[in-house]
Amino acid sequence: MGLYLIARIDKEIVALPATEIGSVVEVDQIAAVPRVPAHVAGLFALRSRVLTVIDTRASLELGAIDRDSDMTAVIVEHEGHSYALLVDEVEDVIEASQPEPCPALLPASWRRAAKGTIRHGEEAILLIDPAIVVAGPEPLAA
Amino acid sequence: MDDLLTDFIAETRETLEALAGEIVAWEADPADKARLDAIFRFVHTVKGSCGFLDLPRLGRLSHAAEDCLAEVRSGGRTPDAALVSAVLAIIDRIGELTDALEANETLPEGEDEFLIAALAKGAVAPAAVEAPAEIAKISVMPATPPTRTVSRSIRLPVELLDRMMAGVSDMVLARNELSRLLRAGGSDSQTDVAFERLSLCVGEMRDAITRTRMARIEALFSALPRMVRDLSAELGKTVRLEVDGGDVELDREMIEMIRDPLTHIVRNALDHGIEKPEERKAAGKPEIGRLRIGARQSANQILIEVSDDGRGIDADRVVRKAISAGVVTSEQAAGMNWSRKLDLIFEPGLSTAEQVTGISGRGVGMDVVRANIERIGGTVDIESTPGLGLRLSLRVPLTLTIIPALTVSSKGTLFAIPRSAIDELVRPKGDQVRIERIGGEQVVFIRGKRLPVVDLGRFMGLTEEPQPGLLVVLRAGGGERYALGVEAVHDHEELVVKPAAPALMASGIYAGTTLPDNSRPMLLLDVAGIAAAANVGRDQEAIEEAPVEKKKTRTALPTLLFRDLDGAVRGVRLSLVERIEDVPTESVVETGGVQMLPLQGRLTRLHSVSALPASPRLRVLRLSDGHNMLAYAIDQVADVVDVRAELAPAPVAGPIAGVVLHDGNPIELLDPFWLFTRAVTTPSNDDSPLCLVADADDPWAREVLAPLLGAAGYRVVFAGESNDERVSVIVTTVAPVPEGVDAPVVRLRGTPDHTGDESIYRYDRDGLLKALRRHVAGGK
Repeated sequence: MGLYLIARIDKEIVALPATEIGSVVEVDQIAAVPRVPAHVAGLFALRSRVLTVIDTRASLELGAIDRDSDMTAVIVEHEGHSYALLVDEVEDVIEASQPEPCPALLPASWRRAAKGTIRHGEEAILLIDPAIVVAGPEPLAA
Repeated sequence: MDDLLTDFIAETRETLEALAGEIVAWEADPADKARLDAIFRFVHTVKGSCGFLDLPRLGRLSHAAEDCLAEVRSGGRTPDAALVSAVLAIIDRIGELTDALEANETLPEGEDEFLIAALAKGAVAPAAVEAPAEIAKISVMPATPPTRTVSRSIRLPVELLDRMMAGVSDMVLARNELSRLLRAGGSDSQTDVAFERLSLCVGEMRDAITRTRMARIEALFSALPRMVRDLSAELGKTVRLEVDGGDVELDREMIEMIRDPLTHIVRNALDHGIEKPEERKAAGKPEIGRLRIGARQSANQILIEVSDDGRGIDADRVVRKAISAGVVTSEQAAGMNWSRKLDLIFEPGLSTAEQVTGISGRGVGMDVVRANIERIGGTVDIESTPGLGLRLSLRVPLTLTIIPALTVSSKGTLFAIPRSAIDELVRPKGDQVRIERIGGEQVVFIRGKRLPVVDLGRFMGLTEEPQPGLLVVLRAGGGERYALGVEAVHDHEELVVKPAAPALMASGIYAGTTLPDNSRPMLLLDVAGIAAAANVGRDQEAIEEAPVEKKKTRTALPTLLFRDLDGAVRGVRLSLVERIEDVPTESVVETGGVQMLPLQGRLTRLHSVSALPASPRLRVLRLSDGHNMLAYAIDQVADVVDVRAELAPAPVAGPIAGVVLHDGNPIELLDPFWLFTRAVTTPSNDDSPLCLVADADDPWAREVLAPLLGAAGYRVVFAGESNDERVSVIVTTVAPVPEGVDAPVVRLRGTPDHTGDESIYRYDRDGLLKALRRHVAGGK
């Protein structure tokens, strides 16, 4: 059994392993960072820490997130740096059994980030690897 | 108690605690190489520290254990239970002695010898049985539990300091928030006063906590002079230590991480790098070795350089060692270039020292150095010139380093620029600063010098139209400069810089992130990175090169520093020095208070500030201005440096032109003009007139006449000593004019009385020179 955070990215319901999540915050002012990959939305100060904000939609190559209103972000730590993953909304924290393999038919953008599925009631929810989201789209072969 | 000693005790105790597990694991599996290495390093470090802290007992114990473990490491001995017990007993003993040291007690000494004896190879069988019992007895020796003295300093985990730092930063932000609310709500004076007090406290606390994390690298450097002094005394070497850049601030943790590697490097330099005075003398180097340690901030790194002028490292010897130690195969080695071969000294278990000494030379050290530096994200580079010296460069990241920065903005986006990279701020206006477009690229002429312009707003993609309100002239490293066009300049601030996420760092144009008081995250620009990304014209660089070079020589003149005969360090422009050579002291001839020296068959004026030393060889600088030559006697050459500072002219004309400051020390510069005016009569060209002196056997001719002629600008040969046929004039007193030489003759006579012929009195200097000139001119 494990705890999972249920959120929506690009309207899709996804799960993130709760053990890897620091907190969930509202993000208002993002300081833009020019000349960096598109999935890096900018920097955000959470108290005295500087977080790198990740546009999860851009990261999964699903377009770009709407940045006009206050946004919800999931804070994760990865290799000593803190990231704020922008999501549409956070719905719940649930307990679920071990993840199962992904369904065979999955859009390419999701396939890369998906670690499996967890079962919540009748629903199968895609489990997302935060590290892949942080890393962003794979660079095109030169 | 001595700071160093306190540090040593704390460190030893910490390592002992950390090592406890390793020791047990090693006991379980004595063949475990990694565990063995860890224990070996510990005793090596203790040994090293004892050397300069003057702790002979600990030194003896650790040295014995090290010897024994070195044998095991090199495969000369297999670790058995007896050996493990004996080593462990010594490590326990080191712990006890350390405790005793802190409590200022002494332990009975006799047992040390027993412990050392237990390490011996022969002691295997009996020790296996008896040693543990004996050791048990020893370890209960202190009748009273060791009392630890109260210390005024404590060691804190850095993580705790981090939390404090984060906490106080949050406090600052909360205060700012409160301040905004108070302003908006309209507060009474009482609240204002209270708030002011709170602000002050928070500010002070922030400073204090920031300081807990930061320390000047001086903390690291301050122990070096003593260590160098003691070590060089022990080794019978004389070494001059130059320390520079002690005010560079570095994260405290970083300093601790650098401490051991730096100690190892310095120890190696003294032990293996710098030769003994006799050797140095024989190699033509100054007897006093030089060890230079400097720190500076370079882009987003701190660069610590340790260089010595010792014998350097012979990469080929390193390779031979590496092959015999089985670190590389000879096939692998064959494919290596010089620097790759040198890098082998960082491999574990390799030491190039022929002799194992009490100070270093176990091959421990360099691998530890690299491991420690890489652990904090740094790099170690080595440059070696065999016979001339070694330079090790440690580069460590600037993380959590406070750096002074300038905040600039374009289109409302703020960026920070490290102040160290900023040359000047200029506003494009008037004739002095003009912006022009050349081939679509902007360039700026600042006081006649052309620099490429990078517009921050356009470079960052914030705007299409460059609108430089101000130009920040930046040094991109390697002498390259460019102007960054920004819309506005805001503030000078001290910023705490942290590394940015990899995705940001990968862009190559950012050095880190920072959070100023306004709680808007800001990026620190990588000045060199932007130059590269903006492709600050490679071709422009070529155009610029010549004037840049010219400017360089104007501002920074390479100067040869030397120790003069009177002991003072003086300098002379390197361009004047033709060569440095040793001449036999007895070859110097002195006439009328003027010293002359035969150089290349000509007598050359020799300057010396004081009497020549009694030594058989004399070191001279041969100075040439292209036409004339003179020699300047010195004690030894000290260095070649770039002197940038302005010359403070000497009040009176003399051999000293004036004084310049170099590294804070005043250095007298020779006045070449003055020196050459006096030597101007010694042309160095071979086409100066050749004067043949017929009286080859007359000492007067050799010692009085020849120097005079030489000083007057003639090359002097004696009859029968040269086959040069281009003789311009012959001078003779009594000897017959050599046959077959077709040249006018000037005859000298020994008495002032006129004799009726054309002869000239030999002390009639003017008459003689006039006659020579007339004949030489007539001959041509």
